[in-house]
Parts: sequence; structure tokens; C-alpha cells
Amino acid sequence: MTDTLAIGQRVDRAEGVGKVTGRATYVADLKVAGMLYGKMLRSPHAHAKIRSIDVEKARALPGVRCVLTAADLDHVDDEPASRAHAVLAKGRVRFQGQPVAAVAADDVHTAEEALDLIEVEYEILPAAIDPLEAMQDGAPQVRQRLVENDDSEAQAHATVATNEVKPTSNKPTNVSTRIHFARGDVARGFQDSDVIIEQTYHIPHVHQSYMEPRAALASWDHQGHLTVHASCQGIFALRAELASILHIPESRVTVIAEEIGGGFGAKIQPIIEPITALLAQKTRRPVKLVLSRSEELIAATPAPETIVELKTGAKRDGSLTALKARVVMDVGCFPGGPLNNVCLLAAGLYKFPALEVDGFEVLTHKASQAAYRAPGAPHGTFVIESQMDALASALGIDRMELRLRHCIATGDLMPNGHPWPFNGMRQVLDAIACHPAWLERKQAPNRGVGFAVGGWMGGLQPASATVRMDRDGSLMIVTGAVDLTGTHTAFRQIAAEEIGVAADQVAITTANTDSAPFAGTSAGSKVIYTIGNAVKAAAADAREQILEIASRELEAAPVDLEIRNGKVSVKGAAERSISLSKIGQVSTAIGSKHTPVLGRGTTTVTQQSPGFAGQLAEVEVDPGTGNVTILRYVSFQDVGRAINPTLVEGQMQGGSAQGIGIALSEQLVYSPDGRLLNASLLDYRTMTAIDLPNIETVIVEVPSPYGPFGAKGAGEPPIVPGPAALANAVRDATGCDFPDLPITPEKVVNALRRAAATS
Amino acid sequence: MSKQILHLTVNGEDREILVQPYQTLLEVLRDEIGLTGAKEGCGTGDCGCCTVLLDGKPVTSCLVVGLQADGHQVTTVEGLESDDGLDPIQQAFVRRGALQCGFCIPGAVVMARALLNENPNPTEAEIRWAMAGNLCRCTGYTKWIEAIQDVVQEVKA
Amino acid sequence: MYKFDFIAPQTAAEAVAELQNRGPGGKLLAGGTDLLLQIKARVMKPAYVVDLSRVGELAQIEDRSGEGVFVGSMVRLRTIQLSPVLAERSPILVDGAKLVGSIQIRNLATLGGNLCNAAPSADVSPPLIVAGARAEILGPAGRRSVSLDDFFLGPRRTVLGPDEVLLGVLIPRAPRRSGGSYLRHTPRKEMDIAVVGVGSAVTLDDGYCTAARIALGAVAPTPIRSVKAESVLVGQRLSTELITRAAETAAEDARPISDVRGSAEFRRHLVAELAKRTLTTAWAQAQGEEA
Repeated sequence: MTDTLAIGQRVDRAEGVGKVTGRATYVADLKVAGMLYGKMLRSPHAHAKIRSIDVEKARALPGVRCVLTAADLDHVDDEPASRAHAVLAKGRVRFQGQPVAAVAADDVHTAEEALDLIEVEYEILPAAIDPLEAMQDGAPQVRQRLVENDDSEAQAHATVATNEVKPTSNKPTNVSTRIHFARGDVARGFQDSDVIIEQTYHIPHVHQSYMEPRAALASWDHQGHLTVHASCQGIFALRAELASILHIPESRVTVIAEEIGGGFGAKIQPIIEPITALLAQKTRRPVKLVLSRSEELIAATPAPETIVELKTGAKRDGSLTALKARVVMDVGCFPGGPLNNVCLLAAGLYKFPALEVDGFEVLTHKASQAAYRAPGAPHGTFVIESQMDALASALGIDRMELRLRHCIATGDLMPNGHPWPFNGMRQVLDAIACHPAWLERKQAPNRGVGFAVGGWMGGLQPASATVRMDRDGSLMIVTGAVDLTGTHTAFRQIAAEEIGVAADQVAITTANTDSAPFAGTSAGSKVIYTIGNAVKAAAADAREQILEIASRELEAAPVDLEIRNGKVSVKGAAERSISLSKIGQVSTAIGSKHTPVLGRGTTTVTQQSPGFAGQLAEVEVDPGTGNVTILRYVSFQDVGRAINPTLVEGQMQGGSAQGIGIALSEQLVYSPDGRLLNASLLDYRTMTAIDLPNIETVIVEVPSPYGPFGAKGAGEPPIVPGPAALANAVRDATGCDFPDLPITPEKVVNALRRAAATS
Repeated sequence: MSKQILHLTVNGEDREILVQPYQTLLEVLRDEIGLTGAKEGCGTGDCGCCTVLLDGKPVTSCLVVGLQADGHQVTTVEGLESDDGLDPIQQAFVRRGALQCGFCIPGAVVMARALLNENPNPTEAEIRWAMAGNLCRCTGYTKWIEAIQDVVQEVKA
Repeated sequence: MYKFDFIAPQTAAEAVAELQNRGPGGKLLAGGTDLLLQIKARVMKPAYVVDLSRVGELAQIEDRSGEGVFVGSMVRLRTIQLSPVLAERSPILVDGAKLVGSIQIRNLATLGGNLCNAAPSADVSPPLIVAGARAEILGPAGRRSVSLDDFFLGPRRTVLGPDEVLLGVLIPRAPRRSGGSYLRHTPRKEMDIAVVGVGSAVTLDDGYCTAARIALGAVAPTPIRSVKAESVLVGQRLSTELITRAAETAAEDARPISDVRGSAEFRRHLVAELAKRTLTTAWAQAQGEEA
């Protein structure tokens, strides 16, 4: 790594100081003159007809400036095309927490008081809550009529070929999408099997639980131009949605990204920005709207619940025979979930010669889903990686050996018939296999070790960026990308390496939608992979322009020049040089013959580089209370090339912690009538510092042919293997299967009691 | 109900402001004084993003009525910086990359400062117990612990 | 936040007078970690709150040597956790107090607030019941004292009248050769609510149990004592088998419900498990004192 100037180095984040001092600005921190505070009244029922809404008392409350219901809006339909379009409920509510009215008031307390004064008369309707029941004929229907499915968000994450089964009738059902993959003779495969494992797995709804609740600040100017300060993952995507919902051209919307306090996929769909904009339009005042944590948990966009029936077979010699899966995904009240990802990974990580997968996306009267870090991938990985351990046990074959024998390699066919792109699944498995935590594992009562491997296909989207040289010779990247995790620092390193300067010579700014070069949404692990390429191209372009100016100043051909130590010099004749600051000066001076340096990079990557991650957990189970303590946790990941190891480790550790949460603790619990029963961070338990161990990291580098400097997307993969790794570790400790997540103390105790009763 | 006068000392500066009786200390700091470092992540004391020091002790300021702080000393994340620069904890968090989205970080560094004020040489377990009231969704806490341990070592050296 | 008025008296007598004079609709504000949640959620809509944080007399820990130790209602749980006096005189209260919330929460939450909020899961309740503590209460008619056994009436309901103030609790000195312990079960190690809490104490005389108290949290509308389980132990020579039997009896005594935090069946299982563990610890402590 010594041959690099910036790549592979632990460059500090420039934004870090703002974040540790409290000076970094998030939307909720903003306060502008004349600003009002917005709040929404939400349905207490999962499914109900709205008979009437009386807002008169609320409007009369001093300090209230505006109360809106669907009757006041031209923008809402009784059968909205997407969750974002369901600005306020019209006629009917389809999930608990759906907004039915909105208020803007002088302060937040008065806005809340106004909500108390709005009287809504509901006629409660039967609700479809359980996804398996919702699929049945005669279940209460979520949609009254069919509208075009909006799968834009699923596509924002991972571009994967699917095999959708088209509905045969126009009658709406709660099954919003069906997919089917098949190859080989499955029946024959099972016939030929010596061992067959069958299990039904359940992964509940979980919440992304970014620490910053959603917030938006909207204002309109006198010409009808809307400006939104947003906590969003993609400024252009938000602008497009706002323009579509408000029926105005995109040129009349400016989106400004403030610091974002975490998104993990959830802050793509605009569920508060449209109503904030409408309150601002109505009042002709800036309006800020910030969700409470309970609103976040009840009425935002959690990750979908998934039920997978999985059957696999193998022969005594360890060869795999067949796989059959039925995947049901509960996406809540609007379609567009990552069903495809679950199916592809559940059936696609190992080389089963015959397979058949049926997937059903099911609508229920619950808050609609959104992406959550590698959407669908932890689910698909959990089921197949749990089953691989069960298969290995039944066959009496080492679980590592079974995986190494059958894991896919580049070119093997995925269930959709497409070849697996170049990937490092095997190298990740190898890294676990030779790690001391695996090699030196010991048997001890109530202790166990488990591991799992999973992957993420990676998203694709065109991207652009510019790199500008300023008068003092410093460089400025202008991007439209939102920095969720430190990617701006990696961009600086990419540009610095390409140009030949240190990373601290390169600054970066996120411009707004008026001025930024197009960049896709920060999602799907495609920021470095796609926008990083644009930054690299822009830097290369800037370098060429710098050399061009230097060549004229030094009277030497550009090919004979090099950039080193802040200077451009003639190779082999270091005394013939010009400093970068001089180039900055001569390219911007009044009357100069040179043109300013403005590097431009526009790229589109069309090949994916899937990122694989593996995790190993060593646990101790308290058989009396069922508590699972993680004694050791090692996170392995192929990142292609670690542009900044500190940032990569941060992704690996944070993703691991989220996977551990899904495994052991997190679950949105709904009552039979669709009300959320644990709407606080006390009862929706993300992991605390004392619940987690030190998360060790092992970076694997199998360079991508397409990503900048070999980099692959690093954000999504580390959440993927955790649930399976922990289930396998607890299985190793107890001898019991844990197909139902999360593995709570109660489930552990129950499993141990059942095992004791049957043994 | 009407506004009442609140006297308090924030980051060493005496303040006298009019507040509503139902405003929390967090709202007073953020909305009335303009110190927006402390964040509201939950409003129910479960996340620790709003942690400030009240007479030197860390508290979730979302669960303090502003007027309860009358006559007291408050230190916010903005008060950790001095003319000499950042608090060593702040420096260590940046150097270790112990932050991603950053929303929980003001509360976390205030809590870490409170911990080291009380116990300058904590074990890893003591650090983890102390930081358990500060939820972070990005880092998995490993780099927090490393950053705090760095400061412990620096002070020892 | 629901809009309320704020009154901050300097003495407990003033607090009582405020409640009396202003009439219904008032709430006493201690640490705020429960009350403010309910006001924010608009579950509770008080017209005014009477803040007790300025009442210095309520924030004392007082060693009344022979009589026991008095812990004022406004003593913060973090203060209890770190108190050398209580470490010596009522370690079981420290066991409970140190489990509540986080350090930030314990710096706010008070003993009195935790008791008067009367959550069945409150972690200070079983320890105080086990310790035989008495609540000291000030009202318009003067002071009165109520055993903690009789203090709780139901979820969020206590014997406190609308204009009474809890002054604190008097924890009697534990007999010699005794030990006590409190444990709770939570999925997370910190920042959690007891699924079940069990406090146990035993007193020994030459290996025989002369007194035992077992109190259970989060398995009934109020914290409860399991007198039946206690009676399994009293008068007997303690043994692991006997402790197991007492623990199972305690589980039978529990009247848990199923909710999002755990099923009734699991709660019963936990009562037995935690009773066994706390009794074992209490027994070992008592034996240590006996030796």
C-alpha cells in the first residue's frame, strides 16, 4: 500500500469535527424567520373508512395557522400510486398511523394541542394483518382497484433480473407480485436424496432505526418555487418525487441535503416532505416538520416481514440434489418490496442442480415497507445458511467443508438463469476457514460457534461529478451525492490518488439540485462503486487539464510531466517545475491565456460486482434465562479494495451490529388488529454498547474490474450474514434450531424445554 | 399558563430567558438558546442523543423540565471545546472514525466526558456499561470504545 | 408536550399545600423519567405539576442507626447506586436501583418517583418489600407511615392521597446472619424494563432459616410478596433442594399476564429461575455472616 498517495489510507473525515462539536447541521436544527411547525394526526386504526373529519376547533385554536385534510388537496387519490403519493388519507385509512390531517402552528406544542381538537369519525373495517391470511380468498382487500406497481425503490438498490408472473385477472388481490424461478427436476432431486431438511423460517418486520427521526423544512418563494431542506439519501430522487406528487416541473423544486442522521434505505421514499411542502404552500410560510420516535416506529417504512418454507436435499456423499422454496413477503399496504433478493439468495448461494422458487409479495393493512440495508439479503441468507448447517449436521459433514464444496463461483448460474458476476464468496469462506476464531474453537457447555456467508448484488446508476481547481491550487469535488457514512472522504481519496496529491488537498461539497452534477441515490452500496467512478473520471480530466497548462508553462509535452509534492515537473528534471498553486493562479487570473481547470466525469457502470460478507459468532447461552451473550464476533468482507480502511471497518462493524439486532432482539410486534405494540426504543430494542462485543474485522480484497481502484460497494453486505451466523452459533450451543427471528430469551428457553421433553 | 424566567449557566455563560413551563431543557437549549448540538432522537430518554451535563452529571435533557434547571449549571457538547481546541474525546472520536451519521455523537462524547471525569481509568466493560444509554445505529460501538480507550492511555502517558 | 403550569415549592409542606390549594389536576414531578413520558404521550394531561427537585429535605440519605436508614423520596437512583451508606446498609436496594434505565436516567430518576409511578416492574419495589421498608408520607393531616407491602394498589396506583407527598422510605436494619439479593430478567443488559424481577432475603441461625422474604415484580398488577414460598423456607435447614422448592412455589404464586415483553408462562419460569438465583446468593451471604 506504500505505492499510493491516498488510496488505502486512514484519512480522517473532514466532517468529523462538525459532528463531534455539535456544529454539523441537521434539518431539525434549522430555524428560519417566520417558521411554523407541522404535525400530523394519524389513524389509530389499521383499516377504517373515514366518515367525517371536523377540524373547526383545531383551526380556531390560537397559534394554529393551517389545518389540512385530503379534502383540501388536489394531490391525493383514494387509491394512491405509492406511499409517497398517499399524502393524507382520502376516504379510507389502510394502516395504523396513516396521516389523516396535518397542522401548522406557531410552535410544536400548539400544533400537538390542535391535533387533540380534530374530530375524526371512523368506521372500523376488518383488516388483513397476517400475511398468510391476507393471501387467502375472502381476506379484506388492501387495494380497491389495481394500480401500476411502483418498484422504483427496489431498483434503486439492486438491479436484478426477475421473473415476474403476470396476474391473470384484473381483480385486485393482496398478492401484489408473484415470481417463479425453476431449473432441473426438483421432484427427482428429492427422490434421489438421502437427507432432506424442511423448515419454515420467519423474519419479522424490523425498523431501520436511524437515530435521526425524519425531518423536513419547506418554503416557497413568491414565484412558486419550492425549496426543501431534507434528511434524504438522494436529492435528485426526492426532487423527482416532490415534482410528481405536487404536479410541478422539477425545475421549480430545489432540494438541499442537510446532514443526515442515518437512513439505511428508509430515507428514500418521501413520506413527510410532500405534506410539509403543502403546509408551507398553504400558509405561505416556511414549515418544519419533525417526526417523533413513536411516529417513526408506528408509521414510517419498516423492512418487510418474510416467511420462507425451505426444503433442501443432499446425498450421503455430500452432493446437493434439490431446493424448493416458497417465499411470502409482507410489504404492508403498498407494493415494491425486495422479494426478488430473498428468492435469489435463498436459492442462489449454493449450486443446487434442481430448484424451484415461488415468491409472493403480499399486501396487508400495516405501514408499507422500505429498504433496509441490503433489502431482502439477510432474509434469503438466513434461511439458506441456517439450512446448510442443518444439512451438514444430518450428513455428518463439516459445515465449512460442505459450503466450500458447493458455494457458487463467478459464472455459475443464479436462479434467474443469469451468471453470477465476478465475486469473492469463496475467498470470504476461505478467510473464515483459516481464522483462529474458527480453527481454535472449543467445545464447552452452553457455548457455540456459528458462521454464515451472504452477499449483495450491488446497485447500478449513472453518475457524474466535477473536480475544480481553485486559485490557490486546491481542488474541490462538487457532487450531488449525499454522504451517509463517510463516502465523501473516500471521494477525496479517489480524486487525490488520480491527480497525484494528498487527500487533504482535495475538498468536497454536496451541491443542491440546482447546481450539482447528477448523482444517484446513496443506496444499494453504489456510492463508491458508481459515483466514485465519476469522481475518478472527473479527477483524471482535471489532471489532464493541469498537465496541459503545465506543459505550456514548462514547454514540455504532457506525457513527460508528473504531479508530485504539489508540483508539476518534467520527469527526470525536477528543477523544471510549476507549483499547483501557480497553476491555480494562472488558470483563473484576469487576462490569463489559460482556461480554468474543471474536470468533468460522467460514467455509467453496467456490470455488478457483488459484495460478499461472512461473520462468525461465538456465544454463550444461559439455559435458565435464555439470554444469549456474544463472546466473540468477527466480521469478514470482500470490499474489492478498501479505499479507507477506517471507513470500511466502520461499515463492517455497524452492519454487523444491525444484523445482530435482527438476530437476537429487534421486531415490530403488531396486535391482531394491526396496532404496533412496541412503539418506543425501550421496547424496540436495538443493541446497546454493553450488549455487543468488540466486533473484529477482517478485510478481504478481491478487486473489482469495474469499481474505482478495484473497490466494491461496502455498505450493505455486513448486515447480511449476522442473523444466520448467530442462529448457527446458538444452534451449536444448544442443539436446537432457531428458524423464528429474533432469537429471544423466551424462544431459547422454550426450545431447550422442548428438547429436554423429547430427549 | 404564562412564560417564566429561567436563570441558568450554560457552558459557563449566565443566561436569563423566558420559557414556557412545559418546555424541556432540551427545547430550551435548542430553541431558545440556539445550542443545537444536543439532539432529540426519541424524546423518551431511551437513546441518549440529548445527553448534557447538569451540575456535572449526565442527564437526558429531553426528560428535564427547563425550569427544573433554574439556578443550575448545564454543559452541552458545545461546551466541551475550549480555546485550546477540541476535548481529547472529540479528537479521538474523529481520529478513530467513531462516527458515521453523527446524530448520536454529541450525546456520546458528553457521556464519555462524564465517564472519564468520574473514572479516569475505566475498563472496557465499564466503558460499555457507561455508554449503554447512548444508542448508536451506525458504528456498532467498537470504535467508540477504542476512542475512549485512546484518551485513557493519553492521560496515563 | 401537553401544556402545564409549573410550581416549585421549597419544602414538602409547601408541596402539600400547593396540591391542596390548587386542587385536582396536579401531579407531583420528581425525576420526570416516567411522568414526562406520559405527559408527552398525552396519556396524562395535568393542569399543573409540582416539582419536588427544590425540596432539599427529600434528597437526604439519613442513617437512623438503631431504627434503620431513611432514604428520601428525591434521592436519585444513581446516588443510591453510589452511596457507601446504602452499600453497607441496604445492598439489595442498590441491586435494584442500579438496574433502572441508563446512567443518564438514574441521574434523574428518584426513589420516590420509581415507587409512586407504581409500575409493577419497578426495580426498587421488590428490594424494598424484601427489606421490610416503610413509606413515610406527609399529607394535610400530618405524617403517616405505611408498610411497602401495602403501598401499591394497582398499576400506577398507590395509597397516596391526591394531596399527599411521599417523604421517603425507612429501611430497617437487617438482622445479623442475613443476606439479600435482587435480580431481574431483561433481553438487553441495560436500558430495559424487567420482564420479571425477584428479590429475596433470608436470615439464618445455625443453618436454619429463621426468616425469609421473597418479593416478585412484573408478575401481578403490583409487586407482590410470595408468603407461600417464604413459608417453605422458614424453620427449615436451607439446602439447594429447599431453595428450588421455594422458587417453584414462588412461580406458582405469580399471577403474570402475557404481553409484548413476555408470555405468562415464560414469566413463571423466570420467577422460579430468578428466585433460585437470588435465594442462593442470599443464603451464601447469610452463611458468610454466620461464619
